[in-house]
Order: sequence, then C-alpha cells, then structure tokens
Amino acid sequence: MGGQANRAGGTRRVGPQRTTRGGGITKARPNLRTDRDGDVSMGAPAGGPKPPSGPSGRGNRGRGTAGATRGSRQSSRLAQNLNKYIADGTPHGPKSHYNNNKTTLKILGLKNSKAATNPDGGVKSLLEFLERKADKEKKVVLGRGVLDGDYVWVKANKDDLPSILHLNGYTYAGAPITIEETTEPFPNPASKVSRDAADTRQKLLAVLAKRYNPAQKLLDLSALGTDDILGSLGTFGSQSLAEKSFKALMHLAGAEYRTAEEKKEAIQAVSLANNEIQDVDQVFTLAYSLPQLRRLDLSGNKIEHLSKLSKWKHEFRYLEELHLASNPLTTQPNWASEITQWYPSLQILDGSQVRTPQQAAENLKLMTPQPLPQLPSNLRDGDLNVGSAFLRSFFQKFDYERHAVVTEYYDSESSFCLTAIPAPGRELPWKAYLKYSRNIMKLGTRTPALVQRLFTGVNFIGEVFRALPATRHPTLDQPELWLIDCHTFPNGADPLGQGGSAMGLIINVHGQFEEADASENLYGTRTFSRNFVLGPSKPGAVHPYRVVSDQLTLHDWKPQAAIAEPTPLTNTVVAIPAAPVVPVVPVAPPVPVALGQIGLDDATKAQMVAELSRRTGMTGEYSLLCLEGMANWNFDLALQSFEAQKANLPPTAFATTP
Amino acid sequence: MSRTDDTNARCCADAANKFVTWYYQQLNEGKPIAQAYVNKNETLMKVGHPPAEICINGQMVATPEDLDTLWAQQRSAPLATTDKTHVHYDVHCFDAVVINKDYRFACPQNLIDIHGPNDGVRMMMTVTVSGDVYFGVSKNWKTNDDFATKQHFNDVFILVPNWEVIGKQNGKFGKKYLVSSHTYRAF
Repeated sequence: MGGQANRAGGTRRVGPQRTTRGGGITKARPNLRTDRDGDVSMGAPAGGPKPPSGPSGRGNRGRGTAGATRGSRQSSRLAQNLNKYIADGTPHGPKSHYNNNKTTLKILGLKNSKAATNPDGGVKSLLEFLERKADKEKKVVLGRGVLDGDYVWVKANKDDLPSILHLNGYTYAGAPITIEETTEPFPNPASKVSRDAADTRQKLLAVLAKRYNPAQKLLDLSALGTDDILGSLGTFGSQSLAEKSFKALMHLAGAEYRTAEEKKEAIQAVSLANNEIQDVDQVFTLAYSLPQLRRLDLSGNKIEHLSKLSKWKHEFRYLEELHLASNPLTTQPNWASEITQWYPSLQILDGSQVRTPQQAAENLKLMTPQPLPQLPSNLRDGDLNVGSAFLRSFFQKFDYERHAVVTEYYDSESSFCLTAIPAPGRELPWKAYLKYSRNIMKLGTRTPALVQRLFTGVNFIGEVFRALPATRHPTLDQPELWLIDCHTFPNGADPLGQGGSAMGLIINVHGQFEEADASENLYGTRTFSRNFVLGPSKPGAVHPYRVVSDQLTLHDWKPQAAIAEPTPLTNTVVAIPAAPVVPVVPVAPPVPVALGQIGLDDATKAQMVAELSRRTGMTGEYSLLCLEGMANWNFDLALQSFEAQKANLPPTAFATTP
Repeated sequence: MSRTDDTNARCCADAANKFVTWYYQQLNEGKPIAQAYVNKNETLMKVGHPPAEICINGQMVATPEDLDTLWAQQRSAPLATTDKTHVHYDVHCFDAVVINKDYRFACPQNLIDIHGPNDGVRMMMTVTVSGDVYFGVSKNWKTNDDFATKQHFNDVFILVPNWEVIGKQNGKFGKKYLVSSHTYRAF
C-alpha cells in the first residue's frame, strides 16, 4: 500500500507550525495558572511588561483580571517553565506539571459557621476569606471548592501551602476551621448519588426482589399501596408521588437486564391488581419498559371505561393473557370484543379463551407490516450471459489467482472500493477491512479518505486485493447460497474516452465466503454484497468487457434466512406471483440459454443444445458433445471452443453448412 | 489519483449523500419517492431515455408510481389499528462511485462546453446503500427493541444527471440526479 499512502500524502495539507510567543491570543491553560508574580520571585529575566500589582476585586476570585494582563502572565509562565527546566534538567509536560504543582486540602468547620446558610453552603466566601488572609505579600489563588459532607475540598499550589496551613485554627464566621493537606482522591460530586437516593434505590430494589417470581417470570406489583417498604418511604402519599414511584420501579426493573431480549425473557408477566388505577395513563411507563409483555393482570382496579385503557391500545402486541375482572369497565357492553380487537395476540381474557394460539399468530401477522416476498435471482444480462459467465470466472479467480483477476478484468480506469459494517457479536474481526472502508456516511463528503479509499487502476486495486484476507466463495452451482440481480443499461462509459457511450451491465451479488486471515490466524464465514458495473473493454484487452466499478460491502446478514426457496440460477425474468396491488412489467420470454453447470434440468440442457446447433450449424449430437466437454455447460465457453475447433471438425458434425 | 478525480469523487459523494438522506427520509415518513426516477422527467423520456429499471427482491416493477404503491403495501397491514408508518429504514453505510464521468445523453451543448469530464457535473454514478429495515416499529422502538421483524437491506441505484436542474442558473431547486436503475434486496 506504499503507493497508495504516497498518493494520499500528496493530497494532505500540512498546516504551518504553530508557535507561541509572548502572550498574544494563546489561551491560558490551567496548568500554567500559577502565581502572578512568578517572574519576579523566580528571578527570571523580565521579558514582558510589568505585571499588574495589587489585589483583585472580590468578585474576581480565581480568575485574575481581564485580557490586558495576559501578555505579562504568559511571559512569566514561560520564565517559570524555563527556570524549572533548568533546575530539574527534565522537561515537564503540561499534565505532569499540573499534577506536581498542586496539592489537595481538606477544610473542616464550615458547617458550624454562619456562612453555612449561604446558597452554596458558604464555600465561595470561605475560599475568598482564605485567599485574602493567606499571604499579605503575595496573591494566593485557590481552586474550585467542593463541599462533600462536612469537608470542603480544594486544590492549591504547593508553593502557597505554608501560608494557607498557617490559617489552621482561625475562626471563620463564628466557627473555628481546621485545614489539612491530604493525599485522598478529590471527590467527584457529579458521580455521587446522595445517601438518601442510594437508600431509596436499595429499598425499591428490595421491593422488586420480593415481588419477582422467577418460576412464573412474574413481577407482582399488585396492591403496592399496602407494601410495608413502600409505605415506609411514603411513596403513595399522593398520586403524583405514586406515579413517580412506579416509574422508578419500572426503571430499576429494566436496569437489571443488559439487553431488551434478556428483559423480555425474564419478565413475561406483570400484575398491577388492586392498585386503584383509574386510568392506565398513571402506569403508562409499563408499555415502554416491557413492550413485549405476555401476561398482564389489571383486576381489582377502578378503570371505568375503555377510554381509560385507550392509552395502551397500540401497545403490547404480544399480550396473550389479560385480566380486568372487578373493574367497573366490565359491566359495559361489548368491552370484551373491543379489547380483543386491540390486542392481536390476546388469547385469554378474564380466564376465557378468545383466540386459539394459531389464530393469535395469524392475527398478529395481519396487524404488522410484513417483508416483501423474496424471489430468486433475476438475471437480465442478454443473450450472451455475460453476467453469469463473468461471475463464474471472477470468483474462481478471485479466490485462487487474485493477481490474474486484476489484470484480466480491470484496467486503468476501473475502480474498487469496499465498505465494512462491523456488527457486535460476530466471530470474525474487521481489522483487515476497516482501514479501507469507504462508508461515506461515516467519513463525510469532505475528507481526503474519500479519495484515498477509492482505488483506481490495476496497480492500486492489485495492492488492496493482495492486502485483503484470502477467500473461498462457494461455486455458483449452489444457487441457494447466492442472490444475483443483473441487467444491462445504456449510456455507460466510452472505453476510448471519446465522448461516446456504451452499453453497460450492472450486477448485484449477495452471498457468503469462507475467509482465512492468515496474519491473525482467523477463519470463518462472512456475508457480502458486491456490485459490479461492467462495460466494454479497451482494444487489446483479454476479455471484451472490463470492470468499470467494483463495490464490495461486508456485513452480517444471515445467509440461512436469506433465500427461502433455492432456485437454479437461470437467465430469465422471474415469474411474478399473483400480487394484486402492484402492476408489473410484461415479462419477457425466458432466454433459452442457461448457465453452465448451475443446477440445469434436462429441458434447459436441451434448449442449450438447440441454441448451439442453431448458432453453429452443428448437429445436435456434436452440440451436446461440445457443451458437455470442456465447456461444462457454459454456453460462452462452448461457443469459444467451437470457434477454436471449427477447422478440425468433420463435415458430418454439421447438419448444414455453417 | 489526480486532483481532477478528487473533484468527481467529492461531487459524487455529495450528490449521493443528498440523495440517500432524502430517499430514506421519504420512505420512513411514508412519502412518495417516484419523483426521483427518470420516468418523471419528460425531457429525458421524450428523447428516448428508457424508463428506470426497478427490481425489488427479484420482482420487476414497471414504474416508480408502482414502486410507491409497493412501499405503501409494505407499510400497511390488513388489520392495523393505526395508519402510522410502521416500517423504518436505518441506513448503516453508503458508497458512491462515478461510472461515466463524461455522460452526454441528452446533454445540452452549452453544458458540454462548460463542464469537462473532470468537473464533477456530467456524472453517471452508482450508489450502494446498506442497512437494516425494521417492520412493525413502535414509538420508542429504538430504546426497547420493540419491533416485529428486522431485515438487512441492500439498495443499488444508478443516478444520471437531470440537465434541467443542472443547467439552471440558480440550480437550487429540484433533483440534480435521477434514478435510472434501482435494485433492492432485503433478507
């Protein structure tokens, strides 16, 4: 891939080296935020204007003064860094410098002070107090304080440590404060759940654990109002609180499982009986959390009308059993038939069977959109079977003689690109492919990779073919493993580049191959789609046609389910099933030439023999010999072999003079 | 690869990106896609451009309007309780390459004079799209996997220039490229 890399390098723009001088517009970095008088105290040469002196205003804690001072601070930082480098003999990266120069302090006593009632708990005013009192000579800047329990945590410069620890035991806002240095990790308030919340969570989990019946896969959330634990939490004190608690319960129940599939398996039934539910809106979350629920008990609630249940009308498509007994709703006319209509899989309503399992399955099918039927390969590649002959030869050579396939079928204008869609949980890794993957959706339309990963010309294509893992495609004699659609199209590229146009052939192939990645010692099956565009080749080429474009997509569809009805690949327009809705084009009569060796029946063979006879003028017997021999029922090869052997054939071979 | 080829690759990717974004959004919203096919362009059809070849799961479809009907049929279910669209296409990847950079069919002479073969305008291209199609999706199907069936789909289009839009001084409106071939498989 050296050539490719060089080519890529040629288009890459390298920006000018960024240099930092003095101050200018360079953004102040946190690691460099040291004391503001550094250049003076450290004795570095004064490079910039004199830094401002005097304390900053009260509201400017930790921020310094605005832009005007930037230049001086920058120069003092440079001086500091230079000095440190000379002293230690080692350069400091920004990170290590930051870590080496800071220390953590724990301050106790704020809780007892008058400032504890401030909106922020008094942290800001405490830190301002410490900054003000620490050193009369020098400005001390503390980091952002974090209040965690009784302590305030703050970071400070090591240089300032003595002057800050000097304040240990001072009285702040009526309470003595204790300051100590610590090596404990700085608390991260964002990741902390308050003790109350953690406690509530534990209690709710206990409720769920107590109410889950693994044998029946049932989550029994009936009569939640009488639950001791929930009662102690006061969650059913008001309706809004009860709804929130239910949401929390649902969330926790779902969070226990890693995938939706696991959850679906583990919780198949839910009971919400005797919960005084008036409208399912109150417990709507259930439909979000457990959409594939199979049994639901709503008995003993206060649902008065179907409208109170209508929020769940389009949910629970797999619901098989529903209980609504002891709800006012059940006294209304036709409620049962209506409910039965709402839930396609419903089989048991209040203990009585409303559908058989077969009826339910059928009903569900009619209620959800279904994939279009899958018809076998559709080859419309003309009389000469260019498409099928090409594929047969191409994949054979791609597997065993990749270098030959490139020189035979590709030329200087052919292009190749591949797209890999890695999916989790696959046996085979994608390492070998991802660096070439040209997924415009991921790359965007403005990246150099778009051009770099489009391989044009024999050399580049040859290189990338060599770099890809070895493959073994099944033969085309196994039509159940292939889906091929192809057709000719007009106005393709003129091979001579003179502004003309030529017929092209577009072939779309779906299949699978065995892969052997020798470098990684990995073997397995991979599925792919490959789209070829063929066009006439330039004069002097091996074949009369060439690959104009070759797009390979690697993905993970399941080949077993791919082709329901394996049908031999034949060069015909498929028979159209009686589809009432869609008018289809008139079907052209099947071209009576079939592919070699691809599950041919006797009728097709007879047709091939007849066709060869017609074209060559040979007798049926000789035509059969020709097709059976070297050509192995490949019509093109048979024709070629006839042309080659024509002179040697006895006159008896011909029915008429050819 | 020369810089001129860069232009074609980028313009092709741009056109494909616009097309793919539009096409699958229309499908997901249950809107028609027939206007993207050459059949709807009278000028091209008058000068003898063949109708678009549309092959869906191995079945030939005569016109783009029939294709719209077919997609509507796919979205519907006989006993569905809502009329909401319940089929969702989730595109994972697409790729596009130029297969004829000097496309001249029905091209006005002035456009041939203005745009050379490397200007990224007179391009015939193929676009391949892959992804998943979900049947029977509910409102929040993405978060809780609530759908009935999932298939993998692969679409291949050939796009050709729409001279009427490309030739416009202000070519902002309308589709610059139209579908002249469409092959779809879902499995």
